[in-house]
Amino acid sequence: MKILVIEDERDLAQSICSYLANEQFICEYASDFPTASEKIALYDYACIILDISLPGGNGIDLLRELKESGKLDGVLIISARDSIDDKVNGLNAGADDYLTKPFHLPELAARVAAIIRRKSFDGKNIIRFDRLELDLYRRQVTINQSPIDLTRKEYELLLYFISNKNRVIAKNAIAIHLWGDSMDLAGNYDFIYTHIKNLRKKMVHAGAPDYIKSIYGMGYKFMLA
Amino acid sequence: MKLFTRYSRINILVIITIFLIAATALFFSINYVMLQQVDESLRIEEGEVTTYTHQYGHVPKNMIVKDQLTHIVPAPGPVARQYTTARFTEPGDSRPEDFRQLTFSLQTGGQWYRVTVSKSLEDMDMLIHSILIISIVTILAILMASFLINRFLLRRLWQDFYRSLEAVGGFKVGSGQPLELPTSRIDEFSFMNLNLERLTQQARADYHVLKTLSENASHELQTPIAIIRSKLDLLIQDEHLSEAQSQAVQSANNAVQRLVQLNQSLLLLARIGNHQYDTVSSVQLDAELSEKLTDFQELWQAQQIRVQPQLRPAVVQMNPELAHFLLNNLLSNATRHNCAGGTIIILLDEQSLEVSNTSQVPALDERVIFQRFYKGAQSMQNNGLGLSIVRQICDVSGFTIHYRFEAGRHCFRVCFAPGS
Repeated sequence: MKILVIEDERDLAQSICSYLANEQFICEYASDFPTASEKIALYDYACIILDISLPGGNGIDLLRELKESGKLDGVLIISARDSIDDKVNGLNAGADDYLTKPFHLPELAARVAAIIRRKSFDGKNIIRFDRLELDLYRRQVTINQSPIDLTRKEYELLLYFISNKNRVIAKNAIAIHLWGDSMDLAGNYDFIYTHIKNLRKKMVHAGAPDYIKSIYGMGYKFMLA
Repeated sequence: MKLFTRYSRINILVIITIFLIAATALFFSINYVMLQQVDESLRIEEGEVTTYTHQYGHVPKNMIVKDQLTHIVPAPGPVARQYTTARFTEPGDSRPEDFRQLTFSLQTGGQWYRVTVSKSLEDMDMLIHSILIISIVTILAILMASFLINRFLLRRLWQDFYRSLEAVGGFKVGSGQPLELPTSRIDEFSFMNLNLERLTQQARADYHVLKTLSENASHELQTPIAIIRSKLDLLIQDEHLSEAQSQAVQSANNAVQRLVQLNQSLLLLARIGNHQYDTVSSVQLDAELSEKLTDFQELWQAQQIRVQPQLRPAVVQMNPELAHFLLNNLLSNATRHNCAGGTIIILLDEQSLEVSNTSQVPALDERVIFQRFYKGAQSMQNNGLGLSIVRQICDVSGFTIHYRFEAGRHCFRVCFAPGS
């Protein structure tokens, strides 16, 4: 699957590409309006990551171009503008999601994964990881065909981990994902640990290996043990 | 004192003085001229008496004509010729009157006579009376006229000035409305209006630049912060990071998080100042608050803080986004400055919201805690903007906020209707 990153800040685009690129995704990059416009016209992408302020034009116009040509590429807007109006405008223009800068790369990856899942028409809303099976529609998790009972936050955490499997996720990225950016956590991430501990316990109890690896107190990595 | 009250006070004083001086001068000059004239007719009378005496060889009889008396008495010798003014009662008259007299001597037949010719000054007194009356009436008329001019004409003339003054008084540099002054036909006023408009336009432009500066700066900061954050996210993917390096990355990550929050707070303050949250609707505050309590629950559990909410239904008119920030900041504040095992008490009713927390910090100074970047003695982790955001939200929503320290608790009370 191909992902197009339209972003004029080369450093940020590079970060995004090197984080997203793996065995599943190929990442392309356009740094200005004409290049982006050409690429959109020529190719189909599973997801387009679109910055709104671009040299040579507005990202919203690119989005309109895309929609007018009847393309079904998923679009995630990334923008420094974070007012409700900006978000509403972006979503009304046909974007699938809107993420404000500065974001954590795992957050971006989770949003991209969600867009791609929604856009894929295989009719299945099921994610599998080793012995885990997540039914996104019913928000149900089963391990070895037996359902496990997760709280809302544990479920979100698990989905976030799976979207960022084999990646180290910083603790504050997890905190922001679960509690939002506006809550002032004052550098205190102890309570994340409680959720991770419970999630781990429930999965191990249901017969799965311990997928969550703690990295030096810096963050966590979800991976096959 | 009004300008024209002061002006007319001086004006009238000067006019009265000039009139008094003029009336006095007039009085004396008329008095002098009249006396000259009376003296002249007395001299004619003297001539007539002398001629008569020389012609007939004897003095004439005493004569009393209306307002004129000739009185001749024998005298031992010549008397000095002189003019005098005397007051006596004319024979056949009841009131004493002023008379001008000329006394001179005559000699006929070896006999000296003293002759006194008198003329009444009554006409002259009347004239002087009329001058006085006319003067007083004129002064009164001038006073009256100047009073009326003050009252109507000047008021009309200054009307443009007062309208401009009123417009300037109602002008707010941050309101977005330019100062519009009424046109005036008076040059001085239209010049003043022109300058006032230019001045306020400049002030508005400067204010706008300052206002947008902080918003633009915050926006521009987002991208470099995004780059730093993304690089840190990539950096921790490296499996060969040592523990020390990981800790360094973790610290950098925390610092970036603080930067993000500072930036968000500054943006929020700038936006409130830029009237971007002016749309108001009914906010069910108890429901909002319950939701927030759920969000904070884990944070409190981790710090063993007990929370005692007493929420009654409360609907307030405010911007829903600001309601969210208000609750968030109040609860964050009560959490951050709390101590392990402490409590937070939340009381909500239709009139007010009160959030109080235990703390190790003694009473704070209400005058400074709402200032931007105020930091108490502790916790350098926060940016000191939380309470000033609370204050600003209260200000734009028409609420009041008060702080008090009571029984070891820091208590913040938001009143929704300041009047009641």
